[in-house]
Amino acid sequence: MSRIALQLLFRRTLLAIPILLCVSALVFGILRLLPADPIAMSLPPGATAADFEKLRQSFGLDRSIPEQYVIWLGRLVTGDLGTSIYFRRDVGDLIAKALPATLELVLLGLVLGVAIGIVGGLAMFSWRGRMGEQVLDLGTTGLMAIPEFLWAILLILAFGVALPILPFIGRLSPELVLPPPVTGFLLFDSLVTGHLRVLGSALWHMVLPAFALAIGVAPLVMRVLRSSLLDVIQEDYVTQARLRGIPEHTILVRHALKNAALPTISLIGVQGGFMFGGTVLVEMIFAYPGLGNLMVDAVRNHDLPVIQAVGLVYCVLVLGINAIVDVVYLAANPKLRVA
Amino acid sequence: MTTNFDRRTILRLGAGAGALATLGVPASVLAQAAAKGQLTIAFPADVPTWDPNARSLAAVQSLYKCVFDQPLTQNPDISVRPALVTKWGYVDDKSLSLGLDFRNDVVFHDGSPMTAADFRYSFFERPRAPVPEGGRRLDTSFIWQKIKEIEVVSPTRAIVHFSEPMPSAVAWMYFLTSYVVPKAYVERVGLDGFQKNPVGSGPYRLVEYQQGARAVLEANDKYWDGKPAIGRITVELVRDPTARVAAIESRRVDCAIDVPVREAQRLATVPGLVSNIDAIADITLLQITKNGGFADDRVRLAAHHAINKEAISRALFGGAAKPISVPAAHGTAGYPEDFVFPFSEEKAVALLKELGHGPQNPIKIKFASPNGAFPNDFDAARAIVQMWKKVGIDAELETIELSTYQERLRAGTLPEATYFSWGNSAGDPELYGGYLLNPKSIFSAFKTEDLAPKIQPLLVEMDEKKRIQGYKDAHRYAAEKGYTIPLYQTVKTVVHVNTLNTTKFVNGLVLPQGWSFKA
Repeated sequence: MSRIALQLLFRRTLLAIPILLCVSALVFGILRLLPADPIAMSLPPGATAADFEKLRQSFGLDRSIPEQYVIWLGRLVTGDLGTSIYFRRDVGDLIAKALPATLELVLLGLVLGVAIGIVGGLAMFSWRGRMGEQVLDLGTTGLMAIPEFLWAILLILAFGVALPILPFIGRLSPELVLPPPVTGFLLFDSLVTGHLRVLGSALWHMVLPAFALAIGVAPLVMRVLRSSLLDVIQEDYVTQARLRGIPEHTILVRHALKNAALPTISLIGVQGGFMFGGTVLVEMIFAYPGLGNLMVDAVRNHDLPVIQAVGLVYCVLVLGINAIVDVVYLAANPKLRVA
Repeated sequence: MTTNFDRRTILRLGAGAGALATLGVPASVLAQAAAKGQLTIAFPADVPTWDPNARSLAAVQSLYKCVFDQPLTQNPDISVRPALVTKWGYVDDKSLSLGLDFRNDVVFHDGSPMTAADFRYSFFERPRAPVPEGGRRLDTSFIWQKIKEIEVVSPTRAIVHFSEPMPSAVAWMYFLTSYVVPKAYVERVGLDGFQKNPVGSGPYRLVEYQQGARAVLEANDKYWDGKPAIGRITVELVRDPTARVAAIESRRVDCAIDVPVREAQRLATVPGLVSNIDAIADITLLQITKNGGFADDRVRLAAHHAINKEAISRALFGGAAKPISVPAAHGTAGYPEDFVFPFSEEKAVALLKELGHGPQNPIKIKFASPNGAFPNDFDAARAIVQMWKKVGIDAELETIELSTYQERLRAGTLPEATYFSWGNSAGDPELYGGYLLNPKSIFSAFKTEDLAPKIQPLLVEMDEKKRIQGYKDAHRYAAEKGYTIPLYQTVKTVVHVNTLNTTKFVNGLVLPQGWSFKA
């Protein structure tokens, strides 16, 4: 990695600290201002009003909001994310179990979305001025108009029920068992432990949820790429290449696409961040045991420690993606390296 | 200008990719039916923890009952049945000492025998164990507060000593959190180890668990009540109702629990599927207060008279939701079957007229309902708003999250009426009126001191006949005075393949240990 890239990452890391502080304070404050109480949610029969107060005290909910925040932040710095009120388990442990599933899903969704977007963008560019472009243009509008969770349901109905070729529940077929955990990443673990049937089943189970997420990214990539290609194709170096007799598809792939990719890379960074938000409902619909599913449970039960921690993890992931995209952008754009 | 990326090339590539994808579909995915002897269930909720003594959550009791045993259990009609305990009865004249005889042939999944010492550990030692900082007491510590000591007489006999009478003690032994866990194992592996690898004495062993995704259960060969007919069960934890419908419709699962009523009605017409829509022992009611427009008894009574429960049941629950006149389920001990609170728009209009209100001059109230927490909740609430409008009650309907409901219930700031469902799989009257009507209870919304002398003596009344009659009278009194607006028994839906023999339980529990596949 170049020195400039390292400097960029360092700057990004420094900048992330105040952002994380602001986000955590905002989430923390808003959650506590809501007229809901996690202790009231989980009171068992036999509990009295005095028991309620004792429980509030044991979770520190009787203190002022700033005081609670400072305590929470102090523990966070030591790596302690607290104890879940609903699950009664260490929040860090819950997140460590759920995070790999979400990362795998988002990665596959992003790869699918970008792949479809690039192929579609090239097709739109190639068919410009023709019926094909209009159909694709209309198609992308339709794709963008429907949210991920609705796509999830439509995909289940289409490929799970009407044409039952793809699974849509959980991560594995019922007859398969999980391989011994190595890293927590199911795809990686099943590969390194030689459980290839598990690997195949896990990948197959990821197709529909990943596709539901990818649909949110693909149409934007298609449109931005098409529009960038239309700009780039007017450049002098493209004309020069044509005069030298280089075939049109070679010009497109080797020269135009590389330059047209820059705005697309920025867009992928932004969409990658949004994709984490999309996992919340998509994971619930597909019974996929990731962070989104955990968040749904936490929100339903007003489990403050889990909501805060998952919110913070989402924020870290978005910042991480943006930092990676910045580095990729730097690598792809020589002008920035010189600057 | 042309490129080589023409339409034909792209279509060819797409067709090729599609063909490859189809060829690559694993056989297991295309298989429509579960492998013989294996059952797959789409279940709507996950356990928060595999410690069955920790949380009193009605929605997951069926899962706990697969892995753990309770001292007593229930028949399908919810009458009590011996389980780990074969005989029970009070051994003193004050009914403060409950003698229990245990089976001698029960072993936990780790092979160790279950004895009265394990019972003592689960019901007395664990609830009283010190809680680490930031931790939380088990729910059993609240429920069994009246236990003073459990005397272990022998491995198969224990005597539970209470500090004061607890007439619902026997009912609690087959209700929430009352499971026997292995003392030696829990102490050896610690709480974390137990939650990760739970060991019970139930009909199934938990062999795999992915939080939020699935639980895999294998039949316990040494189960005291006989090995279950179905050897392996995969419980797919599918929270989304549409996905559960899709799962059963596509036969990815053999059984789906709590599908929307309309979908259950539709699936009943699908060949190969059996759809059950049944009223259970849980009840749906309006949690009412004396706030705002409901300050006067006559308005609440009018509001009750104006609700056509039969019509709501027919329209939204296929007629399955049995209307109730008191806050208890039909057929349970505390339900006065000779009492009917009538639907009567005329009576409602007359009561409101006394206060100067009518359809032209309606009284305004606020009404809250969850949306999606209970079957057809918001639709039913909207129907009630229309029924009230006809007689002169103008209800402003708002949605309420359950967490907000609980907080407002605690703070006493609920609106005039809130649509709510109350679970009581045991069917004991204390677990209906004893909680919902007792002004001292944290679960009651309507606080009126004249109910206290009717309910509170019953909480220590050990004469069963007097206790039951007392609850019947209190339930009836509350309805007649406008202190409660019960609606109907909650509806449970279960859709399964027609090759599966299932047993319905009135309490709504789904217990696959009694199921089998047809030969």
